[in-house]
Amino acid sequence: MPAIKKPMLKVIILGDSGVGKTSLMNQYVNKKFSASYKATIGADFLTKEVLVDDRLVTMQLWDTAGQERFQSLGVAFYRGADCCVLVYDVNNAKSFDTLDSWRDEFLIQASPRDPDSFPFVVLGNKIDVEEGKRQISQKRAMTFCQAKGGIPYFETSAKEAINVEQAFEVIARNALAQEESEEFSGDFQDPINIHLENESSGCGC
Amino acid sequence: MSSSKKPAEYTPPASPSGSYYDLSDDDENEYNTITHTSTGRSVKLLFSKSKVYIHPSASSRDNIPGFIALLQQKPPSTTSSTGASSSSSTSTPPSSSLLLTWMPETALGDAYDTYVKVDLTDGDTPPRQTYLVPPPPSHYTTGASSLVTYAFAVPVSQIFSLLIRPPNLGWWWGSLIINTRAGDSFPALFFHDSECASTIAQSKRRQRDRFDPFGETGQLFWGGDEVLRWLRRYARVEKSHVEPSLYLVDPSEEDLRSFVAKPVVDGLVGKNAATVAAGGGAGMDPFTRVLKEARWNFLEKLTRVTRFTRRTAEDIIDSPKVPDQVKKLLRSPEVQSLQDEFDSARLYLARWAMGIAEQSERENRQRVWTTKDVMELEESSVGEFEILDMELGSMRIDAEKRKPVGLKEWNSWFDAKSGRLVVSVDEVKERIFHGGIEDNGARKEIWLWLLDVYPWDSTREERMAIMNSKRDEYIRLKGKWWDDVERRSGDEYWRDQKNRIEKDVHRTDRTIPIFSGEDTPHPDPDSTYFEIGTNIHLEQLKDLLLTYNEFNPTLGYVQGMSDLLSPLYAILQDDALAFWAFAGFMHRMERNFLRDQSGMREQLVTLDHLVNLMDPPLYAHLQKADSTNFFFFFRMLIVWFKREFEWDDVLRLWEVLWTNYRSSQYQLFIALAVLEKHRFVVIEHLTAFDEVLKFVNELSGTMELGDVLLGAERLWGRFKMMVEAVDRRNGVRGAGGEDEVGG
Ligand SMILES: Nc1nc2c(ncn2[C@@H]2O[C@H](COP(=O)(O)OP(=O)(O)OP(=O)(O)O)[C@@H](O)[C@H]2O)c(=O)[nH]1
Ligand SMILES: [Mg+2]
Repeated sequence: MPAIKKPMLKVIILGDSGVGKTSLMNQYVNKKFSASYKATIGADFLTKEVLVDDRLVTMQLWDTAGQERFQSLGVAFYRGADCCVLVYDVNNAKSFDTLDSWRDEFLIQASPRDPDSFPFVVLGNKIDVEEGKRQISQKRAMTFCQAKGGIPYFETSAKEAINVEQAFEVIARNALAQEESEEFSGDFQDPINIHLENESSGCGC
Repeated sequence: MSSSKKPAEYTPPASPSGSYYDLSDDDENEYNTITHTSTGRSVKLLFSKSKVYIHPSASSRDNIPGFIALLQQKPPSTTSSTGASSSSSTSTPPSSSLLLTWMPETALGDAYDTYVKVDLTDGDTPPRQTYLVPPPPSHYTTGASSLVTYAFAVPVSQIFSLLIRPPNLGWWWGSLIINTRAGDSFPALFFHDSECASTIAQSKRRQRDRFDPFGETGQLFWGGDEVLRWLRRYARVEKSHVEPSLYLVDPSEEDLRSFVAKPVVDGLVGKNAATVAAGGGAGMDPFTRVLKEARWNFLEKLTRVTRFTRRTAEDIIDSPKVPDQVKKLLRSPEVQSLQDEFDSARLYLARWAMGIAEQSERENRQRVWTTKDVMELEESSVGEFEILDMELGSMRIDAEKRKPVGLKEWNSWFDAKSGRLVVSVDEVKERIFHGGIEDNGARKEIWLWLLDVYPWDSTREERMAIMNSKRDEYIRLKGKWWDDVERRSGDEYWRDQKNRIEKDVHRTDRTIPIFSGEDTPHPDPDSTYFEIGTNIHLEQLKDLLLTYNEFNPTLGYVQGMSDLLSPLYAILQDDALAFWAFAGFMHRMERNFLRDQSGMREQLVTLDHLVNLMDPPLYAHLQKADSTNFFFFFRMLIVWFKREFEWDDVLRLWEVLWTNYRSSQYQLFIALAVLEKHRFVVIEHLTAFDEVLKFVNELSGTMELGDVLLGAERLWGRFKMMVEAVDRRNGVRGAGGEDEVGG
């Protein structure tokens, strides 16, 4: 493997069916929202090239079906993830309650080397819907994220393109940091890498 | 009785002139000669089994094939305190003189042939002739990286227990882990039964002689059963009732009490006994129950192993009553890593996918035709000629027959008076298979036949009666949830189902005119769609799916079903008719939505076989690209290409498939045609699973259905010819022969 290679960042988007995973991804990558997206069947991903602090990286955003019955299928794709995005619908309390189990499931299945430092980002989606429908307050969501070790939290709307760009910028940054730390700590087979990455150790968050 | 059995110690031979072993007379001389040569001591090979692997990593490339064997070395003491005569060939050597060993094939050197010979020796007893082999490594190491250090040998007297997991319905290897009294565990040994000549022969023999293909555990016979059988000749092996995968070797009274007689936790901590001991009973947690329902026997068993050991580890590790070996066993990294791996089900799909690849690999070796057969066949001029001829033949269909069936033609097939079909069902199906159905009212009628709402031999009058009773039945079913106010407001599961259905209905075929409107006010102010609005047809889809949820409660609603229903509803435009047509459709599609995904797996395995058979070079490439799990066909197969083709094409494709004219699994030939159409791109450009998945997902909306249908027909014809030619070459088998080919 060549030492200088554009990093490929693998990002997994998880959350209950219908919270807007596919919509968020399309808003970010294709800059559009369509009411006629279909329920996701199987798995798919979109890629996007982004600049993170002047470094060009490719993000591979994985989207899987949210219904429990298909959860087991997502598992195969969790491997090698650099960041996991947990999405819930602010107007649906149940989708918030399940975040924890999505997170646990991910950690178990992807088994990152250091689960405590593995980067997650939480997105509370559909904030464009009228206030009266809202079931999970910002405060409650932030308390949760704090309790889980300070997970970055964004309130988004895939429909109105609110905060989507900002959220994915942080996702990309954290994914890159993770990728680099993994390379640093992991690849003993490749001495070149170890030397190259030596300086950029330490917490980049 | 002593609380823990003391392992016998090995003492070097005391009398060099004496016989090392208990041998039958005729072997004595030869034996003595060999052991006294300068090559040093040899040991006697009693039993061996080939193709037992260590899997050092997740990649099958790293698997190391080897032999598990039972060896006999010089017994520790020759003073015969027991009544058995030391020179009799029937005497049983003490377990301390026996070694259970695993050796990689590559480490055997000249002894390899001997191991093979003993493996293939028939019979329940060790071979009459003495086979001597070099002694196994005297010190074992685990976890080291060099090949030879994986080899190990352990005196049977030092074995505390065996963790045995039989293979699961032929898609995962059975395995065995040896735990010693010192608390060590050796790497798991995986029995690749399908490669092991002796196991294949033994299971065949069983089927033939005793008509009892089932082994030790009531499951299919496998290699691990043999190892148990060897050990039982020399040692007491007790199956634990607490943990069905655990077998204790020469257990002490204490061990027996802990593991065999009653639930261990009962005796040890006295709490949680019911839940732990229940194992497969009613007290299971939801996760276990789901697994159980799903018949993931393999995982389920492991979950129980794990929960048992883990809970034990957590709750009782400090209990003074726990025997030391158990504590050590629980802490042993080998056991822990297996636990972690399986408990987390980390490799759930990876394994699911790998299962497909491996199952097909396995079956490839067993089935009547092999890839090699086909390659040979293709080279022979006869085969080529036949295939060519067939391909031309299938294309030579009258243009008339390629026209869609209209109502006029349809009606001409019925007796005017009785309304009974007067042509054969096959003729009807053939016509529809080649020509499809016109979209001007003919579908509305004919689909009801294709989806089994109407029996093919019914009269007009009978159909009226059927229709009436089906309408009533639909109203009754719908009333079950519609009128159940309590459930509609209080039952959380039901409300979840409803929300899920609603969410999906609003994401189904919204570009089709009848489903696109949002101008009807939503009746339920609590619904997410209250603000957005809905339309009458979306509401009908929702009611239909809720009624199906009532009709088939074990399956319930699963994502993808709305995709299957919408075309039926759009064509029939009648809720009761659409419901029964959908029920008929679901009858054959149900397996796609099973919780354990077994129906999908089965189809992907078959597809794997097909590709391997029909296009070996492409298959080889997919193997290189780690893509033989065929997961990239998941979406196409689960909703029958609904997402890949335009609406009108989907209607056409489905009616072709409904006919079952060529095969009830014709969807696999459609998939094959899709793949074949793009084989060059795949071979030239795609090198990894994500690339293949992306490429196949993006075929959506790019394919010409007519092309794909012709391709599928050609492939089907070719397939048929291949199978027939192979059959002919192998001599025609009678009915009930090994015809595994049919779909
Ligand atoms: N108002 C509003 N609706 C949204 C938003 N994002 C998604 N939706 C709608 O919510 C529904 C579900 O969105 P999807 O993106 O398909 O949801 P998903 O999480 O991918 O769902 P699965 O594929 O089933 O797992 C669709 O009807 C979207 O139009 C949003 O930000 N605001
Ligand atoms: Mg989606």
